[in-house]
Amino acid sequence: MKDTIVQGLQQAYQNLFHMIAEFLPRLVVMLVIILSGLLVAYALKYVVRGILRLSKLDRLSEEAGASRVLRMAALPSMTEVLSRSIFWITLLGFVLIGISILNIAGLQEQISRLLRLLPEIVVAILILFLGLVIANFLSRAALLAAVNAGYASPKMVSWSIRFGIWILAIAMALDELGVARQTVIAAFSIVFGAFMLGLAIAFGLGGQGLARSFLERSLGEKKDDKTDELQPL
Amino acid sequence: MFAGESALGADFYLADDILLGDDFLRQLMSVGEVDLLVAIPTYNNASTVAQTIQIIEDSYQQNFIRDRVVILNVDGGSSDQTSETILNMNGRKGGAHRGITSLRTVHRVTTQYGRAPSQGMALRTVLAAADLLRAKSCAIVSPATTNLDPSWIANLLRPAYRQDFAFVAPVYARSRFQGLLARNLLYPMSRAVFGLRIRELYADEWGFSERLATQCLGQNIWNHEAIRARPEAWMAVSAICSGMKCCQSFLGPKAPPPPGSGPDIVEAIRQTVGNLFWCFETFQEHWLDRTGSEAVPTFGPEHDLTPEDKPSSQDKTFDLFRTGVKGLDSVLSSILTPETHEQLREIAGHEPEKFHFSSGLWVRTLYEFAAAYHRTVIARDHILQALVPLYRGHLYSFLLEHGESSSDEIEADSETLCLEFERQKPYLIERWKAKS
Repeated sequence: MKDTIVQGLQQAYQNLFHMIAEFLPRLVVMLVIILSGLLVAYALKYVVRGILRLSKLDRLSEEAGASRVLRMAALPSMTEVLSRSIFWITLLGFVLIGISILNIAGLQEQISRLLRLLPEIVVAILILFLGLVIANFLSRAALLAAVNAGYASPKMVSWSIRFGIWILAIAMALDELGVARQTVIAAFSIVFGAFMLGLAIAFGLGGQGLARSFLERSLGEKKDDKTDELQPL
Repeated sequence: MFAGESALGADFYLADDILLGDDFLRQLMSVGEVDLLVAIPTYNNASTVAQTIQIIEDSYQQNFIRDRVVILNVDGGSSDQTSETILNMNGRKGGAHRGITSLRTVHRVTTQYGRAPSQGMALRTVLAAADLLRAKSCAIVSPATTNLDPSWIANLLRPAYRQDFAFVAPVYARSRFQGLLARNLLYPMSRAVFGLRIRELYADEWGFSERLATQCLGQNIWNHEAIRARPEAWMAVSAICSGMKCCQSFLGPKAPPPPGSGPDIVEAIRQTVGNLFWCFETFQEHWLDRTGSEAVPTFGPEHDLTPEDKPSSQDKTFDLFRTGVKGLDSVLSSILTPETHEQLREIAGHEPEKFHFSSGLWVRTLYEFAAAYHRTVIARDHILQALVPLYRGHLYSFLLEHGESSSDEIEADSETLCLEFERQKPYLIERWKAKS
């Protein structure tokens, strides 16, 4: 009995030692690959950045109006966006290769699934990017309109619009990825519905005065507001 | 009649551009060449357009009896039968000027340039007609101007007709607190940038020569947003930058539009300041090296301020400035330099009765806005809208300071502001040329 236990422990110890002896070199190789990937990614980033600067891509992007879109989304210049993208894509590639070296059961399958999902991921990122741009643009437009019209809570109006578009974009991106589709749709409906209900309750109950003033301004007293100001021209 | 077949051939390319429809072209051909053209852009002005036509005809009868004249109506798709009102008008009414009748027929031509009103498209149609008719001098008048006078028409037409002026800007007698956007922003800024002292770049009435009309017609700018609503300043700046002669002509008191009928301050700034900034960009090679400003010949007084009671309390204007600076913090930080932004935050914290928006800060702010527009740091329309609360702040400061000032004191203050704009112009150039 005692011998069996000792033998079992010895076997387990040998297995563990064997596993560690097998795993450690792979881990080292993975770390070396990721480190090399980091260096290669940095090198590529600087090379691409230099080439793009020489080719005056930013000026072209400015003329084409793409820079405007990036600025609206509070993103850096086109050169910077592209060189950073190259950096992250290269690093991600090396990380995936490194992880595959570990030879962990199931992980290989996940990595190949991830690679198969790549087109959907790109589309999802695009949806998120567009959502960000549209949310920024529309929330700023709403903020300006609300401030200039003298509404009491312009930032709330602006944030409501931004938040609503974000929720919509995230739900669309997750739907594109096929991540728990039913759950996403249900979650979106709940969050969006709760958000609108919250607004309705806040506006209707919490802000009766604000609602009254808004309706008066919109329907009844608009002309008076306009005539309050001196003719500018 | 037209000068000849070759001239007709040279001009008919315009017909391809659907500017001149068949019916319109037929009307113009029946008129033939003219000396003078007065155009009335309309949109649902059936109630006032007949009176405007009558006054133009009176002016022709009184001042240009030997000249070939035409009245042109360009309509933006009125639904109140404006064009029909014009066409159904009889000849001159009454005998107000018995014994003096024109030796020529006063032609009336009317056309519709589109289904929605656009001052830019209206002007383009007028220029195409003027070019085809070879009108030596033209004027645009607004049917919304309720106190139009025959002398106004003559004063707008004569400088281009009898002398060699290409652009004729009006000078109105104004009350002290009327047209403050023009007084505190449009005039001083355009004067400092383009170097010519034209007070009313944005007006409902103005005149121009055949040469300027032909030059402007050939420009490929007509679909631009900045031109659609307010094309008149672009025309003036085109003349300035082409070295053509500009002048001002005193018209008389400008009756304010009925309350609520004119554009509100947001729309006025989007149209006029947007157009001005766009002109800065379009003509930048003409002004970047220019310093100082020159007076332009003026027929009549250069300015005329009439007394008017101080406007009622403007506390709401100050509130809108204060909440604007606070609410638009993130927007203003992408447009203004940190120093200017900080100064605005600081004055927004002042008590309303001690509030003062200095000329130096106002000029600096506007120049930074112009440079931000040029670099498109955010959507251009958003830049213009972000200017509205700041204009309100300056307006409040102006009213606080000049509530009891005389006309001369207000004029002196305006001149000081103009000189401040000119003094700080190198700062505009520096910001304009800055890469980020």
